[in-house]
Amino acid sequence: MSSHTLEQTAAVDVTNLRMRYGTNDVLHGVSFSIHRGEVLVLLGPNGAGKTTTIEILEGFRKPSDGVVRVLGENPATADERWRSRVGVVLQSWRDHGRWRVWELLDHLGSFYAPYSEPNRPRPYPTDELIETVGLGEHRNKKVSSLSGGQRRRLDVAIGIVGRPELLFLDEPTAGFDPSARRDFHDLVHRLSDLQDTTILLTTHDLDEAEKLADRILILNHGRIVADGSAEELAHAVAGTAEVRWTQDGRRQVHSTPEPTEFVRQLFAQERGAAGPFAVVHDLEVQRPSLETTYLAMVAQEQLAHDDAVGRHQAVLEEVALQQESSR
Amino acid sequence: MNTSTSTYAMRCGVRRGRIEFMNSVRAGQDIAYYIIVSLILLVVLWLNRNGTVPGTDVSVAAFMLPGLLALQVAFAGAFGVATALATEREDGTLLRLKAVPYGTVGYVSGQLIRVLLEIAFSMVLVLVPAAFFVPGIMADGPLAALGAVGYLVLGLFAVLPLGFIIGSVFKNPRSVGGWGMLVMGAVVWVSGIFAPLATMATWVQILGQLTPTYWMGLGLRSTLLPEAAVVAEIDGSWRTLMTIAALLIWAIGGLILAPVLLRRMARRESGSSVAARREKALQRV
Repeated sequence: MSSHTLEQTAAVDVTNLRMRYGTNDVLHGVSFSIHRGEVLVLLGPNGAGKTTTIEILEGFRKPSDGVVRVLGENPATADERWRSRVGVVLQSWRDHGRWRVWELLDHLGSFYAPYSEPNRPRPYPTDELIETVGLGEHRNKKVSSLSGGQRRRLDVAIGIVGRPELLFLDEPTAGFDPSARRDFHDLVHRLSDLQDTTILLTTHDLDEAEKLADRILILNHGRIVADGSAEELAHAVAGTAEVRWTQDGRRQVHSTPEPTEFVRQLFAQERGAAGPFAVVHDLEVQRPSLETTYLAMVAQEQLAHDDAVGRHQAVLEEVALQQESSR
Repeated sequence: MNTSTSTYAMRCGVRRGRIEFMNSVRAGQDIAYYIIVSLILLVVLWLNRNGTVPGTDVSVAAFMLPGLLALQVAFAGAFGVATALATEREDGTLLRLKAVPYGTVGYVSGQLIRVLLEIAFSMVLVLVPAAFFVPGIMADGPLAALGAVGYLVLGLFAVLPLGFIIGSVFKNPRSVGGWGMLVMGAVVWVSGIFAPLATMATWVQILGQLTPTYWMGLGLRSTLLPEAAVVAEIDGSWRTLMTIAALLIWAIGGLILAPVLLRRMARRESGSSVAARREKALQRV
């Protein structure tokens, strides 16, 4: 069974995905895949096409072109059994405001009961899940009376109540305070480790991406501009690390692509020198942060984009000139 | 469609409808609405308790009551459902259910149950006090009451798809409120609830006979009023077969059209479309 082997290798497989609204191209041939159990973070500036991509994978939007396989099926035509294996974390606004927290989670979970499997009992027991997301003391509160952070935790609980094999989260921690954010990160780690859940999430928060991602995709102007782990991305762009230390009473800084080798030499040189002043202390090695990398990548891409637009303009002007002269 | 799993989702929807109804009964705002509407209807009946319909000895209040029941069904079934649908599309309720397996099936059956409970509740609020001062409404005994329930259910199925259609065509709850009220007002006027349609202008009679509320009212009068009241009707007849046929046409037409429109509407729902509507709604405030 070819579809079965495909399922075993990739949870998501996207080839040459294109999306066009009217004459505006939002995605220009995006290809990537997500392995089973992987946590993939989709990064990119506003308008890069992150939400469009995730909505196509969720089956909420039909792509203009391209091949999309999610858990072995085309999300645009997949049935309700497929739906039961996919979790979507939505941003709540004021829906179900009159419902009690426990009641709503239990109700939405009940739809999954016919899809229970021996190794994946569905739905998640309501009481257990409410504790897991830290809403235990609010279980009988009305949804409308929850704070923003509590609401988002309920959103996450609703997204995973069917014990999904694949979970989509579109900017899940927008508006979280630092402690809610840390709790959420713990929850994501637990889901991916214990439940073997494949996770795709979008975020603006680079720190979050670095903490959670097995792999990061950077999307810009509807194209993938980078694909790799946080370290790989850092190496690809700004391949240098900064080494700082104090010697002879002076602060020293050195940039190098091989910090380990440099430090080894630094100590060798220290042993060769004489006197207490030659001793190296306050040593620091700083690798480029994901933030530096990301900004560098988006800036490079922006330059290339402007360049292409510029060239396009130049060609148009030339054509106009030729037409002028041929008259 | 997988029958056993979608039937299961309907059961989830039944529970959904019950919870929604209970939430509504618990909310002070909704209870106030139920009570005010019932009071208005009771006052109208009280003021008309003594007069008789011209040419008969049937009291005007007794003549009005079946029409008012039809109105309640039309209001909860069409206007209520349309408003709920437009509101819950805007606030993301529908999307939330679309994200779970057969959630839309659960949503629609939930609406159905909620409306049934709401109608039953608001009818009790009117019927119990009315029984004390409207003469002769239960004159024909339990069999007649059963017939009335039959017409109410048939009538509900005639107007309910209309609610789903209006709710899925209009983009937001404000426009349903405005246009919906206008249409409902017109329907009430032409469907012969407060005065026999037979006494009105011909063009009103034609329009009235195109509405499901007129036929629901006629069916209810045929079971609840004494036989002598028939002289107040068009052609001096209850036109029973015609009534059932008209209601069935409305119900079947709606049941064919509503799922198509609902599916089309649900297909277009996504996180960003809800977010866009949220932006728009918040800008207005």
